[in-house]
Amino acid sequence: MSGHVEITERRAGAVDIITIKGRLDAGSSEKAEERINQVLDAGGRILLVNLCDLDYISSSGLRVLLAALKRLKKDGGTLRIACAQPQILEVFTMAGFHRIFSLFPDETAALAEFAAET
Amino acid sequence: MAFSVFGDMFLVLLQMICVIIVVAYLITRTKSFTQVLDGIFTWKSQVILALLFGALSIYGTESGITILGATANVRDLGPMVGGLACGPVVGLGAGLIGAAHRFSLAGFTAVPCATATILAGLFGGLIFLAAGRKFIGMHGAVLFAVGMETSHMGLTLLLCRPFEQALEVVEGVAFPMIVANATGVFIFAFIIGNLITERQTKAERDTYLSELERKKAELRIAHDIQMSFLPERLPEVPGFELAALSVPAKEVGGDFYDAIPLPGGRTAFVIADVSGKGVPAALFMALSRTVLRANSLVPRSARDAIREANMLIAEDAKSGMFVTLFYAAADPANKTLTYVNAGHNPPLLFRSGGGRPVGLKGTGIILGVMPEAEYGEETVALESGDLLLLYTDGITEAINPNEEQFGEERLIETVTGSLDRPSTEIVDRVRDAVMEFSGDEPQFDDLTLMVLRVV
Repeated sequence: MSGHVEITERRAGAVDIITIKGRLDAGSSEKAEERINQVLDAGGRILLVNLCDLDYISSSGLRVLLAALKRLKKDGGTLRIACAQPQILEVFTMAGFHRIFSLFPDETAALAEFAAET
Repeated sequence: MAFSVFGDMFLVLLQMICVIIVVAYLITRTKSFTQVLDGIFTWKSQVILALLFGALSIYGTESGITILGATANVRDLGPMVGGLACGPVVGLGAGLIGAAHRFSLAGFTAVPCATATILAGLFGGLIFLAAGRKFIGMHGAVLFAVGMETSHMGLTLLLCRPFEQALEVVEGVAFPMIVANATGVFIFAFIIGNLITERQTKAERDTYLSELERKKAELRIAHDIQMSFLPERLPEVPGFELAALSVPAKEVGGDFYDAIPLPGGRTAFVIADVSGKGVPAALFMALSRTVLRANSLVPRSARDAIREANMLIAEDAKSGMFVTLFYAAADPANKTLTYVNAGHNPPLLFRSGGGRPVGLKGTGIILGVMPEAEYGEETVALESGDLLLLYTDGITEAINPNEEQFGEERLIETVTGSLDRPSTEIVDRVRDAVMEFSGDEPQFDDLTLMVLRVV
């Protein structure tokens, strides 16, 4: 199942939404990193990563999210994560990611927050 | 009679072609020629090439067959190819050599023949320049040869008088000359084209090989860095039986473990996993380990040691680098273990009384992402016979050919079944179980584990 990941992108107004489904582990995180970097290279500054259908995340997956966050912070962008999967949230909590990422239970809530800001 | 003349003529032309093949092969293998192909035009190599193509031109004249005072020949071939492949200097030089020789032989068509030879070299060179200082390719070269020889015939008709005699000569030699020169140019173009492709392939292969070499060297360096920063042997820790193992992946992941003697007879046990791979991960591992060791020298609590280490590591962390780390200070006198878990997968504490192991969960954020982060610490009481298993996710995430993960359950089963064995044997059994599970599947990540038994 390593490498079984499905990544899709779409736009909602100024927000680039990247949805990652399946497993984000050592085998698939490189692919995810490339896709996220493509969006950022194209000028995406408001990013929403939807992990609502992510089954598993490893430390290499965390690294991808962290690299995106660092890059966006440097460029004055924002990164939100939509996720309600208990096992993913547990990994986030274990790594302390809930303290550095803005987490939302679903995409709608995350987008509403973006709308409220702009 | 007519048959015999044409028969002889084609035999001569065939011989010429054989000579041309050999000459073409030899000239294109000279250092001067390959230099020109690389775009390096030294006077020395241009003079050498002009002489070689000039000699070919003379051979073309001498090997020709005489018809009514004029010869069907490949005199223009040398200058044409010299110009097309090596530029105007070589073309013109070869043309002048061939022309001078031809002119010295005199004869009815001496002037147009000598002129045509010079023009062949000059035009060839101009085409070379027009093509962007490179060989125009086979089709262009053959077309040029046909055009050049046709002009050569036209020149003869234009310059030689009486016209009737000129016409007679041209009627006799035009066809064989056009065919012979076009064939000669074709042979050269074919060999030059092959040479260019061959050299390109070689260049590509060289780049690929050196890239591969570099990659290999990088893997070796990363591996060496990592291995040199792992303890050569674990210290004897009173009250504990200790064993550890790290099997780096081909592309190392920056795992490390350590046992650091602390002030007051305590010992810190560390296991850590650096994000990323290769040399960057190995260097980050070296940095993290050094910072951690330095911070353990002064008497302070585990959480303070980690807080300070995190601050230093975060300052150096680039592009999402981080370390998950478990740090536990064991006190043999009080039989306690005080730990900080910075986002590392929870080590498993197997109690001597049996039952499912307890996970020593996170007490703070991973190192390297938040310089001002605070860490919590927890203390557990230890009893004789307790066993602590520290590991990195390379163990639980090892996959088998069906792409299933080894997982925590298999790990717990393996250790539970070996609890009565010495620490070193438990380490070996876990490694063997993971290896057996993975089968032929390549090892993606470092496998690192440490077993700590309370004596």
